[in-house]
Amino acid sequence: MTPNGAFAVGFILVALGVSAPGPRGAAVLVLVGLAFALVEVRGATMVALRRAALVVVPLAAFMAVVWVGIVGRSPSQIAADAVGTRSAALAYVAAISGRLFFIVAVVQVVFLRFAALTPLGFVRALALPAAVKRVLVVTLSLIETLRHAIDRAHTALIAAGTLTRAASLRNIVHFWRLIQAVWLSAITIVLGRIRDKWPVENTLARLDRALVAGTPQLFAGRDLLWLLVVLAAAAILLAERIGGEP
Amino acid sequence: MRRDLICGPNFSGRSAALMALLHEQKFAPESFYVGPYSEAALSGLASTIADEIDLYRARSAGRVTFAPLDFAALGQRQPQTLSGGEQVLLALHCFSLSDFAGLAIDTALEQLDPQNRDAALAYLDPRNGQAAAVALIDNRLSSALPAWTRTERAAGAAEFACDPRSLVADLPRREAPAIAVRGLHFAYRRGRTIFRAVDLALAGGTAYRLAGPNGAGKTTLLKLLVGVLAPDAGEVLLGGARYRPWRTGNRAIALATQNPDHQWCGATLRDDMARRRSAFVHAAGPDGLSDVRAAALAAALGVRSLDAHLYELPLAARKRLSWLWPLSGALPWLMLDEPSIGQDAETRARLAAAIARITALGYGVMFVTHDDEFAGRIPHRVLAIGDGRIRAI
Repeated sequence: MTPNGAFAVGFILVALGVSAPGPRGAAVLVLVGLAFALVEVRGATMVALRRAALVVVPLAAFMAVVWVGIVGRSPSQIAADAVGTRSAALAYVAAISGRLFFIVAVVQVVFLRFAALTPLGFVRALALPAAVKRVLVVTLSLIETLRHAIDRAHTALIAAGTLTRAASLRNIVHFWRLIQAVWLSAITIVLGRIRDKWPVENTLARLDRALVAGTPQLFAGRDLLWLLVVLAAAAILLAERIGGEP
Repeated sequence: MRRDLICGPNFSGRSAALMALLHEQKFAPESFYVGPYSEAALSGLASTIADEIDLYRARSAGRVTFAPLDFAALGQRQPQTLSGGEQVLLALHCFSLSDFAGLAIDTALEQLDPQNRDAALAYLDPRNGQAAAVALIDNRLSSALPAWTRTERAAGAAEFACDPRSLVADLPRREAPAIAVRGLHFAYRRGRTIFRAVDLALAGGTAYRLAGPNGAGKTTLLKLLVGVLAPDAGEVLLGGARYRPWRTGNRAIALATQNPDHQWCGATLRDDMARRRSAFVHAAGPDGLSDVRAAALAAALGVRSLDAHLYELPLAARKRLSWLWPLSGALPWLMLDEPSIGQDAETRARLAAAIARITALGYGVMFVTHDDEFAGRIPHRVLAIGDGRIRAI
């Protein structure tokens, strides 16, 4: 499977997940998503589910407290100015959380499918124009730069006694200093690179050469098969909508 | 092939001369650059070590690969998680796999331990058939390298004249409390174990030199004692009392980091000092560190204004300013990570004298250096780090 194919399949599944399917559509989506995960990432399916749970469970708990515990009605009951029930509120929280869980899990599966590739290898395998690939790599590198800057600023401020490594009141009071130090660090890290190393080496031209190595396919045969499956699922969901099932 | 060694004191224009050389087409059509710190040694475009190597790898480099570390085994790690010396080794490894016709190194070899430094210099030796032009700035090459062209630069701007000895000349005596480390265990997340059940006793009025190969954990130990990192197990005692800087904050150790830019907590020296003063209001020495005194100390290090923007100063001047806080005597312990990197012989000798003096005044000192000549000027004990242990020699 190509990264393009995985992204296309993942995108359609996420779009279908967002479209508030009915019970039959939801069942079809879960089946297709599960099949996609089991075929493409096998044992790592559990990793994807675990990560999705890590993201969604706290959110679900918070929503349950608000909607079931405090509000006690579902949004549709509020809109209709009807007498609310906690069970309706619970059903609403479960539906939203389930949808979110599905979306996060699909995104995880898509990325786990290419876990063996390094970020540069992954971008190289995408069938995209060279300029887009370069922007992707530079964006990823900026994320790394920010992480590096946070580490640097953290070291400076802890050593200077301004912050503590553990949570503390001092950290809350001086949080803005961390932000200032992070931005100063990030700017100087980037300037350090673009002033000396990049012009001497013509590093961005090297990056372009590294990115165009090989000829990535737009879609492989296996991608088309999965695209057919998810489009069939989309048709079922559409039929469910037109048929007017709840 | 061409070999250029650019010599001279700090601020004599060596880095500018190196850059001018790189723009000469006679030197090489395209050159690989290894700057003083990671920002200018690595590309900054790669999220993993494997990608950094991939970025530079040519189909046919046509030269011997320089691989003092097993970079293939480290492939999934982020380049920034390597130690300073390891990052330089990675940069040289990338060069050896590339098709660059030239290589320029600006003081970066000073971060290497003796074994890796010798290996790097041997790799660059033109007699080994290395088919690339090389230009090098290095403060520690006291004798000429065979078959290298040596260019001597004359002393430049006097405005950065520096004498760290004057920082400690009038300091009063201070008895630094002893530090005891018991059963220290530390491992990086998803990384190797750095320390296993380490016991250590550090007395005030003594200088300790942390020695060990690149990546052994020298900087990690400093970060643990300052509270930037938390140990997995073990405890630290300061003056016999339990001391947990990772929970309660650093209150005893003035740290000068290897890269001075990892140290600043303000945009100007005035901001930086003000923040340190407010953080250490109860711990600082009896006379505190007023703006007037800080300005005098900065002037002694070659910087005339507290309002100068730190990042606009030359790197060598920033490195010198990084000594200000430890040598001000504000805290009883000083920890200096590779303090002599990028500094010329005269400044290194003066810094060593200052460290020896403050140690004699009763302060505790721990320093990391691969510079034997510099260390030899400071009466010290050696703590050798390796294989998860620290041995007092």
